[in-house]
Amino acid sequence: MTTDPVLVVEDLKMHYVTRAGTVRAVDGVSFAVARGQSLGLVGESGCGKSSIAMTLLKLLPDNARLVSGSIILNGVDLTTLSEDQMRAHRWDRISMVFQAAMNSLDPVYRVGDQIIEALEAHSASAGRDAMERVRELFDLVSLDPTYIRRYPHEYSGGMRQRAIIAMALACEPDIIIADEPTTALDVIVQDHILREMQAIQRSLNMSMIYISHDMAVIAEVCDVVGVMYAGKLVEFGPTTEVYARPIHPYTKALMSAFPSVRGEKHDLTTLPGEPPDLLDLPAGCAFHPRCAYATDECRTSIPPTVQRGDHWATCWNPVDDLGGE
Amino acid sequence: MAKYLLKRLAQILVTLFVFLTLVFFIVNAQPGDVSNFYALNPDVPPETRERLQDLFGVNEPLWKQYLVHIKNTFTGNFGISFSHYPRSVADVIMERLPRTVVLFMTATALSFYLGFALGKILAWRRGGWFEYTSTVGGVTLYTVFTPWFGLMMIWLFAFKAGWLPIGKFLDPVLWRDASIDANSVFNQMILTAFVVSVVVFAVFVITGQRRMGNARIIRIASIALASLAVAGVWISSGTVVFAWDILRHMVLPVVTLTLISFAGTMLLTRNSMLETMREDFVMAARAKGLPERAVRDKHVARNALLPVVTSFIFSLAFAVDGGVITESIFSWPGMGQTLVSATLTEDLPLAVGAFVFVGIFVLVAHLVADVLYAYLDPRIRY
Repeated sequence: MTTDPVLVVEDLKMHYVTRAGTVRAVDGVSFAVARGQSLGLVGESGCGKSSIAMTLLKLLPDNARLVSGSIILNGVDLTTLSEDQMRAHRWDRISMVFQAAMNSLDPVYRVGDQIIEALEAHSASAGRDAMERVRELFDLVSLDPTYIRRYPHEYSGGMRQRAIIAMALACEPDIIIADEPTTALDVIVQDHILREMQAIQRSLNMSMIYISHDMAVIAEVCDVVGVMYAGKLVEFGPTTEVYARPIHPYTKALMSAFPSVRGEKHDLTTLPGEPPDLLDLPAGCAFHPRCAYATDECRTSIPPTVQRGDHWATCWNPVDDLGGE
Repeated sequence: MAKYLLKRLAQILVTLFVFLTLVFFIVNAQPGDVSNFYALNPDVPPETRERLQDLFGVNEPLWKQYLVHIKNTFTGNFGISFSHYPRSVADVIMERLPRTVVLFMTATALSFYLGFALGKILAWRRGGWFEYTSTVGGVTLYTVFTPWFGLMMIWLFAFKAGWLPIGKFLDPVLWRDASIDANSVFNQMILTAFVVSVVVFAVFVITGQRRMGNARIIRIASIALASLAVAGVWISSGTVVFAWDILRHMVLPVVTLTLISFAGTMLLTRNSMLETMREDFVMAARAKGLPERAVRDKHVARNALLPVVTSFIFSLAFAVDGGVITESIFSWPGMGQTLVSATLTEDLPLAVGAFVFVGIFVLVAHLVADVLYAYLDPRIRY
């Protein structure tokens, strides 16, 4: 799986320059996604998950600075591209399913036309060919083709999400980023759509990055998972490994905050406190003020990387060593 | 839609009735009547004055006058103008109304076009000298004292530079031996403008609906062709000198009105654009790899258009009563001047008639606005 990486992100740092100071939204993140693989990024709100998505597409507000790092998509480093070159890559090679699917469709245009618009921006296929492609896509996401000529407000929430997925698939990109793709939907529709996305991803051998705060969603659809805290990846590894034997106390805390259907019954525990202020990060490990296992080392120095095969975390006191403490 | 239109038409009739009642009583609340002019004239004997009062019906009780007024208005009879005797009110208004409508509609359309185009750029490129100059310049013109600015424009471009006529609707010397009267030339001009805009609009709608790659070329060609046809017809008819004279007289008031009002649309568009730019579908449009221009015009500006259209419709309503001030400064013989002189000469039928036309126009404009909304925003269906 690790051979043939589609996307390699190396030491990515993206900061927002604000009046109050520099916000380190993405602070030295590295990962790779292989062809056909799906990566999940989990973490609480405000830990930099969506900022990573926007950085990968280079759709950043004016006050954002790409400080360092590289984003290599199919051998092309996106960070070195001009805006015009980047525009050609967007959607064609890397597309996105947005967090707020409800509002990601322009209310004044027919849904079919909005997909055709993306097709026309990237290929010569216009007119009848484009219409044919839209029909294929609607079929792929099981949408009624009569809805091609309807407006977004005539769609239900689940249908809109399907339309957004169809749109993301339009140009057959190498990788799709799904930012909270199902958060706004009810559980049953959410489950349907996740399964369909997974099926489509497998049949097209596409790569995906799922971004979610919901551990259950990530567990269901991702091959590998990265746990984010304060703009950094704190744990990374195959999903089964990470869920079975979390190394970082934060991962463990996140997991015990979610119920598990198949696992043993246990009381849900909440993680006290809030994610740190990205303007003013604690010294050492950023998680130490909320960590039950924090020691003096955690408060002063950057934690080392603990490696367990292809599963790693950055922590002074890995919880898998401490056992049941 | 048909049901909705019927309902709205019924509402309009009720509103019109209330409006007519108010106008009648407010106008009659001013002291005196038309016979006052003759009362002060020692050459007019009292018997003649009484006969005049009887003739005009101003001695009747007010409620009787009111009933007659309502009945006549709804049967399309606006009466005879006192000051333009024996011309009928409808006749006077039909002569004046087109002049005002054309002048103010042109100015309103231009100012909205300019304001919308500038507002789009302003929202897109915040900060910098362009935003600074256009905002300061626009707001200065917007708040400047209109009569002063109008006079300055006349002084600069008509008096000093001599490029344009100083005022009025036409040049009397040129028209002295004309075999055709100004109103028919003017009506022909309106007809031409109407036909051309319908043709161009149809071409734009058709090319917009079919996804044609060469839509731009077809549009430009159709506009060029229409202009050529118009030029050909007018030159061959021989009245082109007169049409040109009227056009020249329109330039200064139109430019003045545009300059003093575009800033309102500009700032409205800018704010509406900035609000729309925060929407998720704008980010989605960018993520789709659309060029900035397409994101701005197709998605942001299109969605930011609705409040601007509302404001445009309301401004059109004001195009009928005509800026009393503007018409006076440019000696433009339109509805504004008619209203003022009718009020000053106690010409009640003409004053009331003028108000009624303004009212009908406003009500119809609002109906047009509602229909236009449904076309512009697919979420609105009646």
